[in-house]
Amino acid sequence: MLDGLSSSLKDALKKLAGKTVIDRAAVDELVKDLQRALISSDVNVKLVMELSKSVRTRSLEEEPPKGMTVREHVLRIVYQELVRLVWASTDVKLEPQTILMAGLQGSGKTTTTAKLARFFQKKGMKVGVICADTFRPGAFDQISTLCTKIHVPCYGNPQEKDALKITREGLAALKEQELIIVDTQGRHALEADLIREIIDLNLLTKATHRWLVIDAALGQMASEQARRFHEAINIDGVIITKMDGTAKGGGALSAVAETRSGIAFIGSGETIEDLERFDPDGFISRLLGMGDLKALMEKANEAIRPEDVNVDAMMKGKFTLRDMYKQLEALNKMGPLKQIMGMLPLGNMELPEGVYDVTSTKMVRYRIIMDSMTPGELDDPSLINSSRMQRIAHGAGASPDEVRELLKYYKMMQRTLKGLRGASGGKFNMQRLMKRFSGMQ
Amino acid sequence: MFGGLREKLQAARSRLGSSIQTVITSPAADAEKTGASNTSAPAPEKQSVPPVTPEITVKPTIVDKFKVLLIERELIVSEKDVSDALSELEMTLLESDVALPVTDAIIAHVKKSLVGKHRKIGESVDSLVVGALRDALLDVLGSGFDLQAYIRSHPRPVKILFTGVNGTGKTTTVAKIGSYLKKQGFSVVIGAGDTYRAGAIEQIGVHAERLGIKIIQHPEGGDPSAVLFDTVQYATSHKIDVVLADTAGRFHNKANLMSQLDKIKRVMKPDLVVYVDEAVAGNDAVTRAAEFDKTVGADAVVLTKADMDSRGGAAISIAHTIGKPLMFIGTGQSYDDIAPFEPAGVVGELLGDA
Repeated sequence: MLDGLSSSLKDALKKLAGKTVIDRAAVDELVKDLQRALISSDVNVKLVMELSKSVRTRSLEEEPPKGMTVREHVLRIVYQELVRLVWASTDVKLEPQTILMAGLQGSGKTTTTAKLARFFQKKGMKVGVICADTFRPGAFDQISTLCTKIHVPCYGNPQEKDALKITREGLAALKEQELIIVDTQGRHALEADLIREIIDLNLLTKATHRWLVIDAALGQMASEQARRFHEAINIDGVIITKMDGTAKGGGALSAVAETRSGIAFIGSGETIEDLERFDPDGFISRLLGMGDLKALMEKANEAIRPEDVNVDAMMKGKFTLRDMYKQLEALNKMGPLKQIMGMLPLGNMELPEGVYDVTSTKMVRYRIIMDSMTPGELDDPSLINSSRMQRIAHGAGASPDEVRELLKYYKMMQRTLKGLRGASGGKFNMQRLMKRFSGMQ
Repeated sequence: MFGGLREKLQAARSRLGSSIQTVITSPAADAEKTGASNTSAPAPEKQSVPPVTPEITVKPTIVDKFKVLLIERELIVSEKDVSDALSELEMTLLESDVALPVTDAIIAHVKKSLVGKHRKIGESVDSLVVGALRDALLDVLGSGFDLQAYIRSHPRPVKILFTGVNGTGKTTTVAKIGSYLKKQGFSVVIGAGDTYRAGAIEQIGVHAERLGIKIIQHPEGGDPSAVLFDTVQYATSHKIDVVLADTAGRFHNKANLMSQLDKIKRVMKPDLVVYVDEAVAGNDAVTRAAEFDKTVGADAVVLTKADMDSRGGAAISIAHTIGKPLMFIGTGQSYDDIAPFEPAGVVGELLGDA
């Protein structure tokens, strides 16, 4: 079902492929699919509406940068708009500080507290934990068991019902520690006395950071809850937990937008080491259910420098083996073909497993074969007759059939480029190249 | 409970009603005239045809509408009449955490039952809309689950296994249901099947102690199947009515943990597998409910944390996805904050006609 959704987004993007003029209807459709993808990832509906509105306006009004196809242009806008939301990354400094944990019941505060303690401990800090959860039975047992495992001092008292008192005592008992994490009881924004309590805890601890722990599966209420927590104790970071499930964490995104803070960490497993710093790109890709857009864009930009590929010559229809060699090299720089395919939001996703490997080994073979050609042959492949073919095959340790195959492939590339010249008149089209590759096997 | 959804649904309902109303009023006014002339003069066609003629050539449906209007004194609701209001209803459901595919299904249902419907001129639009919405919601929510009746009609001990992902409130729910059943006069034993999470055994132990319920525990890290097997043995030999089996939270995409649950199921042979999820969950509720239902099955659902200002969409999503009845709703932190789920009552409350 979710796969179906992301593929509908892909379909919508496909419709924009190869278009040089921005098509209002296609953009509208894309925006609609984008909305559906985001809503089904639990991003707040109002936020989705604002976001899609600006994507639509920008897509239609902004001129695509030179050399960028309409699809890339729209994708870039989608990406930029999303990054804008999660941009502020929370600064985590390794200095003496106090961290106050807040969140709804069952969001994973206690587990995350232990993970954070471990994280800072590994960075060489002296960490202490205070268990200010006086309500849930077993809460102190839980955190103290976890802390004992990593040799972090943990202060708490299951008999005491006053969280403030425990915290005050805990701060005194742990004053030797550089970094103190205060784990609190789960609460939601409608419980006035508990909100009062966390405000008092915040005043008491003079917390450096107040982090809101959010379950990745949290739905539309994330915004509202985050807003009220923010009003109470001025949240300055969000931790998303349970990212190892299938939830997309859209609720957390809404919470970040609401508190104008950043995502500090991501919890993605049950062991104490399963805590990661936040990576906006991976997160956005997951939200949209698509490959890693940004990595692809960056890699494509750095790999294919203008001097690498003589676009002008190619556009004139002069495409030699030498050009092809450069392209293969450029592709190689981008990493294994399989990875590139994974990053492409639309490429030939339905390729059977194994094709990638065949193709990338073939690419290596092609380069080796081309290495044993003379400069003359590279510039003008028509020189290659059967005796030259024998020689090249010998030199490369290949069979003449392979050389023939390479030449066939070259001709196909040449044809593709000729076709391109008429169609988009733009830059060298990598997607099309990919398609040809996969066709070749 | 579900105050947010209720407010929104009522807004959507009046919106739907009014959009049908406005479309209808203009031809209805004509209809009154035509109807009036119908009774007074035997040649009404001449009077009624002229204003309609231009439309006849363009849209033949108008003719149908008019025919029905004249002959049966009824109106046909067209897709166009309700599309705006329906998209608003769609937003309402989405904002209330009803998962996207489920929202689509409900909207389709309401649309189908409204569009093409003949409406008597005198009949209120509101009742038509409310009827359609109620049918759709009831259809989704099913009929509820009477645990007491179930226990009475089955051989003791009745073994109930609780499953769900991490942090949904399984342990608290087990304690609440234990307290509820005890008050109803059943004897209960709890099996501390969460041997993984630190502090979980202590947590359920404290609950059981407070409630005066016998609990069977093994040390942390033990085999949950063994604990629960012992619990069932204990219940059998002590003639206990109900076994409540707590388990560790697990994600549906962790094959090993799911097969552990499968083993628990084989060993303790539960009469009921109860899936616990939180009312605040978003779209993932659908994915994981479906996955749990597929791998270990689910006979009933308990929805927790309904007091968290939730709109209750998760209830609708889960019920629609796995088609299993909702048994209880958890509404707070104390042992009494649990209520049997009655779909008709909830739907009535949502639509504001209680």
